[in-house]
Amino acid sequence: MSARRLWSITRRIIDGFRRDHRTLALIFIVPVAVTALLGWVLRDQQIAPTRVAIVDLDVAAGGRLASAISDAAMGAGLTVVDDGIVDQVTARAALADDRIDAALVVPSGFVADLLAGGSPRLRLITQGANAIAEGGHVAGLQRAVSRAILSLAPGGPRGEIGIERETVFGTPDADVLDVMAPVFIGYFAYFFVFVLTGISFLRERVGGTLERLLATPVTKPEIVLGYSLGFGIFATFEVVILIVFSLMRLEVPAIGPLPAFVVGLDVPTAGSPLLAFLIALLLALGAVNLGIFLSTFARTELQILQFIPIVIVPQGLLAGIFWPVETLPDVLQPIARLLPLTYAVDGLRDVMIRGYDLGAGSVQLDIAVLATIAAFFVALAAGTIRREVA
Amino acid sequence: MSGQTLPPAIETVALRKTFGPIHAVGGVDIALAPGRIYGLIGPNGSGKTTLIRLLVGLARATSGEARVLGTRMPSRPLLSRVGYMTQSDGIYPELSVWENLRFFAGLYGRADRARLLAALALVELDDRRGTPALELSGGMRRRLSLACALVHEPTVVFLDEPTVGIDPALRVQFWAHFRRLTGGGATLLVASHVMDEADRCDELLFIRDGRVLARGSADELRRRAGTDRLEDAFLHFAGVTGAAAAS
Ligand SMILES: Nc1ncnc2c1ncn2[C@@H]1O[C@H](COP(=O)(O)OP(=O)(O)OP(=O)(O)O)[C@@H](O)[C@H]1O
Ligand SMILES: [Mg+2]
Repeated sequence: MSARRLWSITRRIIDGFRRDHRTLALIFIVPVAVTALLGWVLRDQQIAPTRVAIVDLDVAAGGRLASAISDAAMGAGLTVVDDGIVDQVTARAALADDRIDAALVVPSGFVADLLAGGSPRLRLITQGANAIAEGGHVAGLQRAVSRAILSLAPGGPRGEIGIERETVFGTPDADVLDVMAPVFIGYFAYFFVFVLTGISFLRERVGGTLERLLATPVTKPEIVLGYSLGFGIFATFEVVILIVFSLMRLEVPAIGPLPAFVVGLDVPTAGSPLLAFLIALLLALGAVNLGIFLSTFARTELQILQFIPIVIVPQGLLAGIFWPVETLPDVLQPIARLLPLTYAVDGLRDVMIRGYDLGAGSVQLDIAVLATIAAFFVALAAGTIRREVA
Repeated sequence: MSGQTLPPAIETVALRKTFGPIHAVGGVDIALAPGRIYGLIGPNGSGKTTLIRLLVGLARATSGEARVLGTRMPSRPLLSRVGYMTQSDGIYPELSVWENLRFFAGLYGRADRARLLAALALVELDDRRGTPALELSGGMRRRLSLACALVHEPTVVFLDEPTVGIDPALRVQFWAHFRRLTGGGATLLVASHVMDEADRCDELLFIRDGRVLARGSADELRRRAGTDRLEDAFLHFAGVTGAAAAS
């Protein structure tokens, strides 16, 4: 491995993009614009505040979780309703009468289990009448619960906290409207990095430059690493911009005829942006090398784009962006668990929404799996670069 | 005559390369002494590019051996002493002239400014340093491609049709430079099917269907074929009946 050759390859990728303003806009501006649009759409769906009752059966903990949730609920657009609801029966009655939108049941022994590093489960009962409104209620509640759990177990729980869903009227709807911004960070990083490296490497193969590259003393690891670094730098900027945009809130006052508006999504994150960044970067590293690998199977740029419905779209559907992996059909679940995006989405949600840090078991798992997948793709990519082509 | 005692710079032993039914290189035995320019002359599909790729180590031989400077190819470390100008340009269209040159020089760890400037001066692209390769004329791209192949001062140089699309004045300069390189001890193997260039080589290898038909200086080959045109000499060695009619 020669640092000089490595740097040559990295620099040539940066040089190539520097002059390509359209691609730069695609990397840096489009994801922000789409994320902003999405944030706008999602925000405006939250019409009525959620009325929630908390049934705390964890007598041993003295209602600690219930009061923590109540505290967190204030800031999350939730109204905690008491109204004589003491157990699941009265809660169901209140839901049926539309006196509340949701009831959260804390089982006995929950807090002790949580602190001991176990994986306790909460139960969430909703009306099950209006899927869209329900999604909004659930998202708000999840946020409040996450904050409450974090206040009891700083740094995030070591086990997985599950929320069992149950409805009074219909079948439980997926908890869709978890804040989308962190998830989009992962998705865009993956999508653009894959397409750009795929095309770039394809051009190496068909344009005769790879042949020429291999006629120099360059080694395979240098090529793969040089590419990873070159595109990694762009992925890094992209991720930084998206994270900053998601977290910030910049109020622009009204100027003349323009109404006042807000820049940024102001996602209420508790976690470390650095950790989110690490997760997104591991994902991008995998995408670079998947792009190199798949470029072997394409002959034209158009054929690289044909990989999008095969590689990118199914990941978007299965990786837990829109509905949780646990709610997928049994056949699809193992597939979802093989996808890097699944772990990135989970990790980014853990860090940015739930505020977990590296101590949390689920974050450790996500990072370990992402690193493994990235290493696997690096090996695949290296395997497709051969000095003796034929 | 002392040249014959030097170990060959380029050597092949019963070298073959087949692609399915096609014998691209069909048993080639050559030993080329260093410090000379060799012309690899043959029609389209005769196996020139394939032979060069075997010598550079970009293709694996079906059987036989290819050696450069005594080292059996493929050999990655030896590549720092080898220059290869591909038949297609093999440069990055989105990069500028300077960036392309700096990239390839960097791969050899020889990207110092003076060397890059010298390489640009050779191909007369000094005034186009910042131009993206995409905006160069076809001949200029060819010139850039040559500069990239020579920037690290290789000892053995393979040039696959280097002067296609190069104007006559520059072509003369190219050959003058090739000659200077041999003065420094370099060995050049130049693939071409342009016969008027063949006369500038020290020695020619006529190749067809993956086999070397004849070898010798241009004058020698013309004399042996009993003709004063190199085209006719080629046809003579290829055993084409038309050759008889022409002579
Ligand atoms: N990668 C490959 N796969 C299959 N066949 C090949 C491949 N490369 C070359 N060939 C075949 O090998 C033969 C020799 O090709 P080669 O490119 O070496 O010819 P050439 O002498 O360089 O021709 P030209 O003057 O057109 O450049 C041709 O019949 C060609 O079709
Ligand atoms: Mg050829």
